Amino acid sequence: MKRKLELNVNNEVWEVEVQPHRTLLEVLREDLSLTGAKEGCGLGACGACTVLVNGSPSLSCLTLATDVQNKEIRTIEGLTKDGQPDPIQLAFVDHGAIQCGFCTPGSIMSAKALLERNANPSREEILEAMSGNLCRCTGYKKIIEAVESLAEK
Amino acid sequence: MSNEGYSVIGKRQPLIDGVVKASGAAKYAADLALPGMLMAKTLGSPYPHAKILHVDAGAALALKGVKAVVTGADIPGKKYGFFRSRRDETGLTVKARYIGDPVAAVAAVDEEAALEALDLIKVDYEPLPAVYDPEEAMKEGAPLVHDEYERNIVAFRGFDFGDVEAGFKGSDHIREDRFFSQGISHGNSEPRACLAQYDPSGKLTIWTSTQSPHYVRRDLSLVLNIPESKIHVIKPFVGCGFGGKVELYAHEVAASLLSMKTGRPVKICLTREEEISATRLRVPMGVYVKTGVKKDGSIMAQYVRCLADGGAYASSSALPMYNSGLTCMIPYRIPNFKYDGYMVYTNKSVSGPMRGHGANQPRFAIESQLDMIAEDLNLDAADVRLKNATQAGDTSISGLVFNSCELSKAIKESTKHAGWHEKRGQKGTNRGIGLACGGFVCGARIGGHTASGSFIQVNDDGGVTVLTGSSDLGQGSRTVLAQVAAEELGLSASDITVLSGDTETTPIDPGTFSSRVTFYAGNATLIAARDVKAQLAQVAAEIMEANVEDIVFRDKKVFVKGSPDHFVPFAELVNRAKSLGRGRLIIGKGEWAPTNTQFPDRKTRYGNVSGAYSFACQVAEVEVDPDTGQVTVVKITIGDDCGQVINLLAAEGQAEGSAAMGIGHALLEDIIFGDNGQVMNPSYLEYKIPTSKDIHDIALLEVGRPDPVGPYGAKEIGEGLLISTVPAIMNAIYDAVGVRITELPVRPEKILEALEKKERRNTP
Repeated sequence: MKRKLELNVNNEVWEVEVQPHRTLLEVLREDLSLTGAKEGCGLGACGACTVLVNGSPSLSCLTLATDVQNKEIRTIEGLTKDGQPDPIQLAFVDHGAIQCGFCTPGSIMSAKALLERNANPSREEILEAMSGNLCRCTGYKKIIEAVESLAEK
Repeated sequence: MSNEGYSVIGKRQPLIDGVVKASGAAKYAADLALPGMLMAKTLGSPYPHAKILHVDAGAALALKGVKAVVTGADIPGKKYGFFRSRRDETGLTVKARYIGDPVAAVAAVDEEAALEALDLIKVDYEPLPAVYDPEEAMKEGAPLVHDEYERNIVAFRGFDFGDVEAGFKGSDHIREDRFFSQGISHGNSEPRACLAQYDPSGKLTIWTSTQSPHYVRRDLSLVLNIPESKIHVIKPFVGCGFGGKVELYAHEVAASLLSMKTGRPVKICLTREEEISATRLRVPMGVYVKTGVKKDGSIMAQYVRCLADGGAYASSSALPMYNSGLTCMIPYRIPNFKYDGYMVYTNKSVSGPMRGHGANQPRFAIESQLDMIAEDLNLDAADVRLKNATQAGDTSISGLVFNSCELSKAIKESTKHAGWHEKRGQKGTNRGIGLACGGFVCGARIGGHTASGSFIQVNDDGGVTVLTGSSDLGQGSRTVLAQVAAEELGLSASDITVLSGDTETTPIDPGTFSSRVTFYAGNATLIAARDVKAQLAQVAAEIMEANVEDIVFRDKKVFVKGSPDHFVPFAELVNRAKSLGRGRLIIGKGEWAPTNTQFPDRKTRYGNVSGAYSFACQVAEVEVDPDTGQVTVVKITIGDDCGQVINLLAAEGQAEGSAAMGIGHALLEDIIFGDNGQVMNPSYLEYKIPTSKDIHDIALLEVGRPDPVGPYGAKEIGEGLLISTVPAIMNAIYDAVGVRITELPVRPEKILEALEKKERRNTP
């Protein structure tokens, strides 16, 4: 049986009808056409599906869509404001923290959540916050440097 | 390394497609959708080796939402594969050869219905005896994975240069050692996916996550029995490949067949489990090395024998078996060299190309053994490398020509930077330092067309579009090619749009592998850009009443040499060209393959496969916890000769990513096969790749000089660096705690076991 849901995604309310077992990732990608969040493993191990739920990084492949009603969901698409990328998106570009880009939306959302709750994270805190986002291309060094560049001095 | 005079080359250029990736707007194959699209899944064999007697899809087809089922019996065409002589795949098979071998596929209105239908497909299997170990598989009477291949040998490459026996006789010291390098998953961030659409005109269009659209087209044509010109392969954004996405895969065959059958677009997205267990893995290989040296460490002779576990299908087979021998002769001068390399079929997941492609396994063995030899002779390990290092101007005994080589400099600078002499051999600290060298091809001469091409169109606003067949998988080739065009035309990289990898609109190209793109497509783009420049310079010369050869393109301006203040903006020049005379278009083209290669002799294998060779020395520093066996790689310092760097930011990215992959290969990753050949750790819960907490300091020192053949003197950096990371770590572990691990990966229990053994030996 499908259920009617209201999801608040990127400050916009979406009405969707979904089966109760569908994940937030499936609903975002298939019903809302927000394909920025990716499926890399389907088990919550790679972080490519990371979105923010009430400001906390969440693995949308392990989150049921029905569980996030009345919560504020933010995806990578919500970071670009009036066609202007967020500073964290630009930092990833400028520091060479992106290669293939598949893990990038998830990594950026983790970084965004970190910087919102801690404007001046230490290197250790950055490593910890980013450790759930697997990247096979970059070796992480430039990702860490990109996040570090936005830490308040 | 010299950047003098360049305005774009050698700089830290962010990716020209960086923002589209950072914003989540970049579309990968799984992100695509078409009206009426069906979702499909494939069914894998539960048996390692079995004949398929009958498939009953009745119950599956009766399920609501299910539209079609196809099996191996529906394949309309021929077998496909890398080599014409070893084509052994049909995507969907009528004889299963490993657990997970796709035997059928189903398309339904959504993935859930397709998955449910898979359970309802009834397959009658006749299980056959199977073989899992390559040594067993080579014995007379072993079950045959493919009937046509005696003793299951799918590929053999061997060569014998100089006189190894005489070399060993003339040696003061000889060592023989055995090593094993395990199966590794590519770990592409993006699991493979494709979307196929067959239309009533008989044309098949497929958007697919591939490194090589033209290979996909060729093999689809074979297996589907459709002319190549009726197949359009489009590469959307690709979430890396590392060699894993070069070939045609079962899901691409299945989606195409299902679209042909239903007339609707069909998409398939692989799961991580399918990625790990039913696509490709790095070739597991046993390596035996015998090396003879003089007392001063000079190598007199070397014999290398490799036995590779090919798994159930040939894949690139003869290529890694050739590379395993060939690459032994790049970094060092070896006067007498003999090699035998066998690849053997087994009833296991398929081995195929992966970053380094056959070079990594013997390099791990040889570099480990060189350290053992240095210790035997009481020599410094870095000195032994310096003694034998290849020099610019050398020709190897096998015919490889090294026009440029800065390996000695790489060794000296990386050891100096890492503090080699201060840190090496510090007993009792549990910290160690080790090094290893390597070298690699910049694309290899292959049968058929090896060249790359490039078209350049200049748009009315002065923007420039480059069309190239070479695929960007994330390594940044779009940006590198944009830099090449920008440098020639006096523009910035962001003025250039690069379209890559579309079989209908971009030049035919072998694809992205063998570390060839910067070298080949870079030169092709350079030629195309010079073509454009020559056309525009003619117009400028006319307008400015100057000589064509005095026209300079710089900073989006065009001027006569010596008078930069009297310029025409580039965009204006383009418009002037349009309105002058007959109203011309500015289109450039380039096509390039090196002319200094020599196809290896079919019998002796003497030849020069590549236009240039990269070199590197890496120094690894590790800390070993003797109580837990845990190894931490504290720092990797890389001395790299990739010739003239085109994009320093991207070069560092390749070095850092490659170091991380090497750490995974050395310490973490291992595809574990069960008794029946089943992959026991197919998900990211069990198969671990490095995270941000496993990687510490990585330093890249560029020591190269421009190569005479590469574009602006550039050579490769994507693959060659990986091959020396693993042995550098192994040698550092030995330096730290005195145990030599010869079978990868170095799990903590192996360290503890070896430490215990060492302890027992030392206690009387």
